[in-house]
Amino acid sequence: MTLEHIFGLTVSGLTVGMIYALIALGYTMVYGVLQLINFAHGEVFTIGGYIAASTLIWIGVDATTPLAVKFAYFGLALLVSLVLTATLGFLIERIAYRPLRNRSRIIALLSAIGTSIFLQNLLVIVFGPQPIIMPTAVVPTGFVEIFGARIRVLQITIIVVSLLLMALLTWIVKGTRMGKAMRATSQDREAAEMMGIETNLTISFTFVVGSALAAIGGFLVAMYYGSLQFNTGFLYGLKAFTAAVLGGIGNIPGAVVGSLVLGLAENWGVGLNLGVLAWLFVGGLLLGLYFQLVRAPRFRIDHIAEEFRTPAYERRVRDVYRFAPVVALKTLFAERTDALLYVSAQHAVRLTAANVILLGLAVLFFVNGDVQFASKWQHVISFAVLMAILMFRPSGILGEHIQEKV
Amino acid sequence: MSEPILDVRATTKSFGGLKAVNNLSFEVYEGEIVSLIGPNGSGKTTTFNVITGLYEPDSGDILFKGESIAGLSPAKVYERGVARTFQMLRLFAAMSVLENVLVGMHGRTRANVLDCMLRTPRMRREEDASIVRAREILEYFPGRFPEVRHAQPASSLSYANRRRLELARALAGEPSLLLLDEPVAGMNPAESLEVMRQIRDLRDRGYTILMIEHDMKVIMGASDRVIAMDHGIKIAEGAPTDVANDPAVVEAYLGRRGADTAS
Repeated sequence: MTLEHIFGLTVSGLTVGMIYALIALGYTMVYGVLQLINFAHGEVFTIGGYIAASTLIWIGVDATTPLAVKFAYFGLALLVSLVLTATLGFLIERIAYRPLRNRSRIIALLSAIGTSIFLQNLLVIVFGPQPIIMPTAVVPTGFVEIFGARIRVLQITIIVVSLLLMALLTWIVKGTRMGKAMRATSQDREAAEMMGIETNLTISFTFVVGSALAAIGGFLVAMYYGSLQFNTGFLYGLKAFTAAVLGGIGNIPGAVVGSLVLGLAENWGVGLNLGVLAWLFVGGLLLGLYFQLVRAPRFRIDHIAEEFRTPAYERRVRDVYRFAPVVALKTLFAERTDALLYVSAQHAVRLTAANVILLGLAVLFFVNGDVQFASKWQHVISFAVLMAILMFRPSGILGEHIQEKV
Repeated sequence: MSEPILDVRATTKSFGGLKAVNNLSFEVYEGEIVSLIGPNGSGKTTTFNVITGLYEPDSGDILFKGESIAGLSPAKVYERGVARTFQMLRLFAAMSVLENVLVGMHGRTRANVLDCMLRTPRMRREEDASIVRAREILEYFPGRFPEVRHAQPASSLSYANRRRLELARALAGEPSLLLLDEPVAGMNPAESLEVMRQIRDLRDRGYTILMIEHDMKVIMGASDRVIAMDHGIKIAEGAPTDVANDPAVVEAYLGRRGADTAS
């Protein structure tokens, strides 16, 4: 298990993670403004890739085309795909969701699933069930050597393009008038409307932006793997949706973080042997101990009213966390105690349990250091990571979008 | 008298079998402060929701400055010059204080994404002007929104300051008619007094005000005219003291036996 190997896997993980992120952003933005999971989004992604690929096939680009012309064709394919896919996103909202806006949530969800099935079948009808092959002539084939690992130029391109798009999106949401309308709509649609914001227009804009990002994702996947099939978007959509939930649904930076975690988990999980993966658990254990011994007690102490914050009491709170579960059990069962100590004791026991599990896994993985998961376990591992994180933090890594009204 | 600024004509809005607002008619004239009173569930907030376009009236019409606004979208009604505050505060909690006021100006600014991207002079002028105006509006509450608070999230404000911010947000749309839904709810007597003065001051600045209120001191102290509602029907209208002593109003609040005891 060499460093080059680990670095190469990390780059692959980041590449896949970035593509998930481009899709996940669409899920999370739509959830933000409508509290709706747009299950047709995975198909929007596939269609984006299909349109780009078929445009290039139709133009007839090949290896003999000069580089400048290739770039022009590439730009044209991107533009066609962006425009058509954004229009598709707009139409999906207009036809499948808007008429059902004020019905119960489950009805819109059914409509979303129906739209997804419809679009998949539309792809089969138009392009046939066989995969569409991306013309290889426009795909950068070069390699660069970084830290001894051979990294595809395309991978770097994907990562850089995704980062630029995310920066652009952040700026749209934070810095423009439309972004302000989006944020206001997602926090309180009725109030936004009564403050003069055309919420229908804002929601359409959200779908257009989300679909455009998915289209670029589809194009990048088609280049990365060389082909797309009518049902490719199903799995990608599911993964991206998962990533959005993992990062905290409705939370834009959360979608990116969740996607990167998922991408890395998939690649590291099957690419590394258990001896190396054990170090992740060691890292997790260190983080867990930091939480248990430093952050959690400090957080509790900060919540004690000034007049009760005696040094003796602070020491007791720290002891609860430090000597959990011994003190914790005593506090829970033996002594009469105040609410703060009681809650702290429960919390300390949970943290200790998590740390013990992490320690156990680290030891287990170290002992079986040479074993490696077969690649068919990829999805199992990524979903195991997902469940583990959501178990300890149900609102996702960066927290859910909160429908807070003050 | 001149043409009313708001003219509610025989408006009815029902939910299922319940007529929340039943054949309600009233006028509000420019420069007036009118209070809408009535026991809970008498249809006051529904009346506000119908005026602001959140609900479409089942029948009847609503004229604002002589033009019908019934059935327009809330955003359109707001652009015509009707702004409101809410009984339960509805600020954009995660946005900064200044941004909340800027959202109120949304309908008046025109810059689109492309303008923002190219940072066209038009857009920059507009943005600068909006920020200057937003600061001006916040200045209207002296000492409540110092410079340092402008960038803080609205959720960090105290309750009374949130109510002030909601009013500031409503003022940002440069409305001519302000609908205030229980402006002093949850405030202490000193704060209520301040709000009462502010409401009168706003009237002197040229705003027309229609408010829902329960606090008798504020109603008596601020309003020119009072309209009392019960079960969606207007039961009394007139000068504050007259309405407060109207037997039908006393009965609506206290019940028949209570009304007998009171008289």
